[in-house]
Amino acid sequence: MEQDWLLRVRNLSVRFNSRKGTVHAVDDVSFDIAAGETLALVGETGCGKSVTARSILRLVPEPPGQYWSGQIELKNSDGSVVDILAASMDKVLEIRGERISMIFQDPGKALNPALPIGRQLAEVFAQHRLEMIFSDAGLNFSTATKLDKKFIMQRLNRVQSSAYALLRKARASALEKAMANAVEQALADTGIPNPQKVMISYPHQLSGGMKQRVMIAQALACDPDLLIADEPTTALDVTIQARILKLIREMQQKRGMAVLYITHDLSLVREFADRVAVMYAGRIVETGESLRVLERPRHPYTEGLLGAIPHRRTPRGELAAIPGSVPQLLNPPAQCHFASRCKWAAEACKQVIPTLLPIENGRLVSCLRFEEATQSGAHEDLMPARAEL
Amino acid sequence: MRDGRTLDSNGFALDAQTQSDAVVTLKDVQVHYPVKEGALQRVTGHVRAVDGVDLTIQRGKTLGLVGESGCGKTTLGRVIAGLVRPTSGQVWMGLSPEEQQAVERLSSLSPADMSAEDKALWQSLMSQSLLGSMSADNRDKYRRNCQVVFQDAFSSLNPRQLVRDIVGRPLRVHTSLRGEELDLRVVELLEKVGLSGDHLLRYPHQFSGGQRQRISIARALALNPEFVILDEPTSALDVSVQAQILNLLVELQRELDLTYLFITHDLGVVQHTADDLAVMYLGEIVEYGPTDSVFDNPLHPYSRVLRDSNPTLEGEKVRKWELSGTVPNPIDPPRGCRLHPRCPAADKGCGWAVADAVALAEDSESAIGDAIRGVRSQNGFAAEIEFTTSELANEFAKAATESRLGESFKITPQANGTSVNFVFQTVDAAELRQVEEGRWTSCIRTQDSGQLPVLQINSKIKKEG
Repeated sequence: MEQDWLLRVRNLSVRFNSRKGTVHAVDDVSFDIAAGETLALVGETGCGKSVTARSILRLVPEPPGQYWSGQIELKNSDGSVVDILAASMDKVLEIRGERISMIFQDPGKALNPALPIGRQLAEVFAQHRLEMIFSDAGLNFSTATKLDKKFIMQRLNRVQSSAYALLRKARASALEKAMANAVEQALADTGIPNPQKVMISYPHQLSGGMKQRVMIAQALACDPDLLIADEPTTALDVTIQARILKLIREMQQKRGMAVLYITHDLSLVREFADRVAVMYAGRIVETGESLRVLERPRHPYTEGLLGAIPHRRTPRGELAAIPGSVPQLLNPPAQCHFASRCKWAAEACKQVIPTLLPIENGRLVSCLRFEEATQSGAHEDLMPARAEL
Repeated sequence: MRDGRTLDSNGFALDAQTQSDAVVTLKDVQVHYPVKEGALQRVTGHVRAVDGVDLTIQRGKTLGLVGESGCGKTTLGRVIAGLVRPTSGQVWMGLSPEEQQAVERLSSLSPADMSAEDKALWQSLMSQSLLGSMSADNRDKYRRNCQVVFQDAFSSLNPRQLVRDIVGRPLRVHTSLRGEELDLRVVELLEKVGLSGDHLLRYPHQFSGGQRQRISIARALALNPEFVILDEPTSALDVSVQAQILNLLVELQRELDLTYLFITHDLGVVQHTADDLAVMYLGEIVEYGPTDSVFDNPLHPYSRVLRDSNPTLEGEKVRKWELSGTVPNPIDPPRGCRLHPRCPAADKGCGWAVADAVALAEDSESAIGDAIRGVRSQNGFAAEIEFTTSELANEFAKAATESRLGESFKITPQANGTSVNFVFQTVDAAELRQVEEGRWTSCIRTQDSGQLPVLQINSKIKKEG
């Protein structure tokens, strides 16, 4: 595990400055993703899971956002390592789409409503696979003129572009054909029937499930090593959700990519993730193999989340709801953020921040019940009752 | 009607549709929205949002209404709340069992056949309980009695009003409470839903999502209703808060003897809360029955697919039952059973018709899809489809005979020049029928055999279209 990580996040903290103070959206988060594995990042609204995901692609706007501390390291195929947070923007742009890509929650908002699907997908190939398009078109990339590139990258205006198509007919049609083939193939890979028809449609002409497939096609166009899926099915119906998740898994198996799956739904984790990291109020509170975490949650929050899922066998009206609500992350005190809602909470929980410690093979929990008083630095008498291991 | 408020104590579900006291009885309710096109805004069709729904909601019970987005469940809820006027059909309020039988009998009679006594009874029933015909007094009473909690508590609470005004509003309209008395009542309501008097002078934006939903519930309970329509009350909330709200709703139901119509797309929630379940698809109810038996033994392929698609925390998942394609256009829904173009268990007799032949052509990988020049349809089951070339017409006639439409043709399609004549066997629209005690389904094949059809492993499941 230690050796073959693909992405390693270490002590990541992201803060947002606002008029009222600093919001600690992500606080000292560390995790690894190995090549080909699926990690689910689970948590409720506002727990920082999306900010964590966006940080990996450096998509958090600065300002108001600020990468306060930490490293996000991505391993290259030759074994060298890039720190995404420290890299230049050019380097980051190279990584986006090529090595790491992302699909978003609402495909309706993530696609450009004014462009046909085919042109939106062509942008990906123009950005990352220009050489391939030229060689597919039977043209020599090294001798291609700026105009050729601009044409296929859709950087020419309408007049320029028609002039180019008129004057350099053979080149233009060869390039367009190569691009259309690439796009069609990408769409067909995600099981879209009639990709040619979809290419000339606008997003509003497609159903939600279909738009999500287009998003997936776009994200996977360049065979990334890591796909970040930010609640990819929340906006979809259950029957469509099942098919989209199946598609992501199939694509993952076919291409051997890793998936970072952001979700608020623990019941999806069981079927689709190898490992799970549960986040609460900007921190990871528990990680481990998904089946083992779901079977035997160790952190009180994970336990609470699982108990709160409505089930036919829970007697009506007796769902184990977690009392209270998520704390504000504006200038948060240095304490366990779950303390105010936790049935085990003791004085020490309000004084020190618990550390994410390994308690068994592959399982890390951040709770004072699993810590020794000497480790945490709090007084022995104030510590909560020890958990049984 | 309050005196007739007795619960069927043994909870026996047989013919419960007519036996016990009903809060609402829907008879063939339809809501069609006109589609207008062109400069003259001519009506070119109707979106059949709700298309012929019969439903009875029993007093003191929770009825779950599930379905995917766009199936008409919210519209149905709005019809029951009196917020949308149905295009046709009747919505009866608070009928006792005797009255239900009388309505049943009288609505099958034509006015000419009614005796003078019947006519008088019908008149009094209408003015007392039929939404749209009832007297103003009865209508006000119904409005007080039936309240709604909406999905998004942020947009259903006025951002510029204080909680005191939001929760006090129904009391101002319907009662004579004012001033301090009103405030006291509002505080009482807030305490009932787990908030306190401290929250009286705050705006909605100062609350969290769960608290806002509590305010919505307090507002709905302000007039002591008997019946509350919950339109996706928890789908905007996080799991831990959702559990709080669900617990609160159950507690309030026990305390105040409420009847719920629980509209949701979340099967976990409905499984937990509802006594009975109505599954909706494309404007129609496709299955109705006690929640547990619908989940254990679904009698409609759609319910089965819904159940199987729902991720759970336990049990191995074998997902054989899947829908293909997308929801059809509600302007021109499929013939026969509305699910058949997407159903994994569809067979001949499920209502294959011209629209399916056209879809088959459009979905095909070859050039056939673009080669259709025109469809001259006599009715939904017979048409002449014209292609650009006779080869393509020939090819398609053969493809259609070999496809899963093959067994549903009355006459095997033959190319005739550039056109192909399709004549399908005519199938009646699927109707909700009782197949077992308390179990209703609209699946034609289930109605014939008494159980859900067996899925053929090799059945041709189309890719998403």
